[in-house]
Amino acid sequence: MELRTSRPTVKSPSNHFLGKGLNGLGKLLLLAYAAFTLYPLYWLFISAFKTNEDFFNHPYSLPLVWMKENIVRAWNLGHMGRAMMNSTLVTVSSVILTLVLGILAGYVLSRFQFRFKKVVVVLFLTGMLIPIHSTLVPLFLMMKKIGLLDTYGALILPYTAFELPIAIFLAIGYLASIPREIEEAAMIDGNGWWGVFGRIIFPLCTPIVATISILAFLRFWNDFSFALVFINSSALKTLPLSLALFSDGFGTDYSLTMGAMAIAVIPTIIIYLILQEQIMQGMVAGSIKG
Amino acid sequence: MKSIRKMSLLLLIMTFILAACGDSGSTNKAEEGTTTKKDEKVKLTVWHNFAGDDLRAKAVRGLIEKFQADNPNVELDAQAIPPDGYRQRLSTVAAGNELPDLFFVYAGSHSAELYKAGLLQPITEVVDQNPEWKGKFLPGAFDPFTFEPGQVYTAPIGMSATSILYYNTTLFDKYKVKVPTTWDEMMTAIKVFNENKITPIALGNKAPWVAQSTIIGALGDRVTGTEWFKNAAAQKGAKFTDPEFVKVLNYFKELSDKKAFQDGANSIDNTQAEQYFIQGNAAMMVSGAWTLTNLAASASEDQMKNIDVTVLPSIPGGKGEANTITGGAGGGLALSKRTEGAAKEAALKLIYAVSGPEAQKAIAESNSMVMYDTDIDKAKVTSLYYKAFNLVKKTTITPVYDAYLSAEAAEVVNNGLQEIMTGGSPESVAKKLQDAQARSVTP
Amino acid sequence: MPTALRSKSFIALALLPALLLFIVFVIVPVFWSAYYGLFEWKGFGATKFVGLGNYREILQDHIFWRALRNNLILVASAIVGQIPIALLLALVLLKNTFFTRIIRSAVFMPMVLSTVVVGLIWGYIYHPQFGLVNTVLEAVGLGSWTRPWLSDIHVNMLAITIPINWSNIGPYMVIFIAALQNISPEIDDAAKMDGAHKWKKLLHVTLPMIWSTVVVTLVLCISGSLKAFDHVMVMTHGGPAQSTELLATYMYNNTFRVYRYGYGSAVSTIIMIISALLIGINYILTRKKAD
Repeated sequence: MELRTSRPTVKSPSNHFLGKGLNGLGKLLLLAYAAFTLYPLYWLFISAFKTNEDFFNHPYSLPLVWMKENIVRAWNLGHMGRAMMNSTLVTVSSVILTLVLGILAGYVLSRFQFRFKKVVVVLFLTGMLIPIHSTLVPLFLMMKKIGLLDTYGALILPYTAFELPIAIFLAIGYLASIPREIEEAAMIDGNGWWGVFGRIIFPLCTPIVATISILAFLRFWNDFSFALVFINSSALKTLPLSLALFSDGFGTDYSLTMGAMAIAVIPTIIIYLILQEQIMQGMVAGSIKG
Repeated sequence: MKSIRKMSLLLLIMTFILAACGDSGSTNKAEEGTTTKKDEKVKLTVWHNFAGDDLRAKAVRGLIEKFQADNPNVELDAQAIPPDGYRQRLSTVAAGNELPDLFFVYAGSHSAELYKAGLLQPITEVVDQNPEWKGKFLPGAFDPFTFEPGQVYTAPIGMSATSILYYNTTLFDKYKVKVPTTWDEMMTAIKVFNENKITPIALGNKAPWVAQSTIIGALGDRVTGTEWFKNAAAQKGAKFTDPEFVKVLNYFKELSDKKAFQDGANSIDNTQAEQYFIQGNAAMMVSGAWTLTNLAASASEDQMKNIDVTVLPSIPGGKGEANTITGGAGGGLALSKRTEGAAKEAALKLIYAVSGPEAQKAIAESNSMVMYDTDIDKAKVTSLYYKAFNLVKKTTITPVYDAYLSAEAAEVVNNGLQEIMTGGSPESVAKKLQDAQARSVTP
Repeated sequence: MPTALRSKSFIALALLPALLLFIVFVIVPVFWSAYYGLFEWKGFGATKFVGLGNYREILQDHIFWRALRNNLILVASAIVGQIPIALLLALVLLKNTFFTRIIRSAVFMPMVLSTVVVGLIWGYIYHPQFGLVNTVLEAVGLGSWTRPWLSDIHVNMLAITIPINWSNIGPYMVIFIAALQNISPEIDDAAKMDGAHKWKKLLHVTLPMIWSTVVVTLVLCISGSLKAFDHVMVMTHGGPAQSTELLATYMYNNTFRVYRYGYGSAVSTIIMIISALLIGINYILTRKKAD
């Protein structure tokens, strides 16, 4: 599965599929598809500024009156400032932990041969198959025993553990396409494995680091079940709990729900835009070192 | 050497993160010592789902805050949990025997299961200490929470009236339709509205409890009478496969076959159906008192003034009374088995604070029904709520199905009604319901 | 000699933290939950050992089989819908221009939205009375094709696959772009010089080079589709009449709605076994192709 060709130095990424760029029709199709995927976001933001009545009477048009109060009320009623701090702290810690542990493990599993390697790979693979709801009660009981309930750790550790399989497999898949010659050269230069990993491999991994970060960020930022069950104090509650406040099974206050969701989605968009650039620049960054 | 440095860096990061994790562990201790020494504050935890921004939720939260202000010796930890996750949260915590001192329970299988698992203790004393308060609850208010004779496990905070027939007077006038009081008139109304491309009855049955809670209980009571249903639920001398129950399901099937509901009723939620109705696309809607709360928040007074309320029509040859509405006690705060001493005293006080006479009035004036004899200030509520409030006062309350069925059987009848709407046969639904309820009564 | 030793300590130290965390917080609860599957238990209160009774009951419940069929529909639609489209988009949008940047971000956006919003907007698109799909069908003279897309039990499962595919294409595209970034353009040029047609090139040069990533996305697709929960919960609650029930919603309802925790745990164990089987099959199939 590895490359048989040696890896030449790289100047700039080029277009692999359509030699000379897109023609007009292709661009048009892409634009149409983009509109199709962007529309809900637009819809969320216009709906966030509507009254409930307006929301139902004119679901597609611009708000009759721009209700900035929705945002303010959702922010205050949902204690969203505090929730956002908590979500940020929990999400960022979990993402970092996932990256460090996941890529290290992925590197070991893709490069080394050792006893029980197959067992470890299969074990991590099963991690991707688990429907999380069934683990809620056992996890709750276990965390109660070790006194982890109602702490940031009650979210950070399980989040990381559940995201590790995906991180590891993405890393393995990606590392498979990095030629070993690079490391061999580095070893000859006198680096240990930690040095090789830290100086050569990790920098080369920028695109996959960014990919794993995006997926993990979204997962952690939006998780409802764990946040609902493992956190008790209001001071530690995360954003998804604020979003669920305005619906009671008999009815939903859409203006507040939409307002809260519009607030919560902004950080994810920013993170995505930043990380997307990392993915695109990954190649250039890696090639300078290599 | 280098590798050791790298390694220690990694360990350092791990320790840092773990330290951050353990940081706030201290807040948890509040739950441990609920009983305390004299000079210490009494610690009390309460979980409820009055989390939203609707008037009722605000009223109940207000009552809890008032209790806190009136009782400075109590250190109250009150948590409003999003209703969508409330049962899941409570179930998980119950599995770890970590329930708070007081927690909101729903009438029906929810509270019954918690009782059966031995997690609740009775609150009879606070009820008996206030006979005047107890006496003003409407008949049957304590029934769902009397799990053993003479013992009450909660005092209901609200009331669910689930089968009010809302209708649009403008549309009835425009097409010269009589507001139905008999089944035949209902069929005529459905026919006329359909001919004029108006949906006869708006229904949002995506969450499948809606049709069961609002329609089938009321139809059922009119056909079979209350006694039969209670017997069938207890599986004593009546079965859901009996012909009278199949007849109930057939009436429902007739509604569906005659296109009483708008197309795709099973993919629309209750809020959307309410809006469909209030915008004048449908002539009627059978719904609960929650619609009053929802409309108070989302519809204009202009839209609401065309709406009136009544009971569902009578059914020819039915064994039940006609002037009835299904309903019953709403949920209330239940007391954990583990709470004792000063905490228990404070807990009972809080129960009185959120369901006592003043509380009932405050809740009733938040456009929300109560199972309690109280007067309300007309100026404080919407006109539609006031009409409904008086309608409910004049009618007899009959059981809602899911308050008496096991959770599994309720799920079966909920899904069964959707099945009938998509072509399933009443007989097979009746059989499945009978099997499920029999399983839960005799395990 | 010291190199080998150093390798060993590196392997141990690099792998152990991840492995430990994973075992404690994922594997232990899974076995714990599988153990509950042997009991009749409400989630609280008394337990009663029933051995494989729950499993027997599950296999006899036709709703379980329907849920499984629905999940397999999702798996199939994900494999034919998400992966090829994501790969195509990744190839087209690999160049970093202003235009592609915008399109890339747009394609990813459904993923950042909460499923509640996705469910709501698609609920409107499929709305029986004033939905986009029905309106368009009426407008082009196909009035007879209109239907309540989410409650017509003959089409609703297919209708549901579209929003799910639509929201999941973004992440797969990102994964493919990351993988494609790693292929050196010179190989590309070489292929061009050979005069290889671009489709041929895709098949014989590009695809083999990112094959390990394709395999990973297939595994993600399969496991993701078998765990699918949120979209269906928001759009149909698994209804009407359980026609869109999925394994995960079936498990959830049993666990938290009808208080059959033991039964629900047994269902989730079965979900894992089925996923493992499918991924095993996938492994065998993709390995053959890679050689």
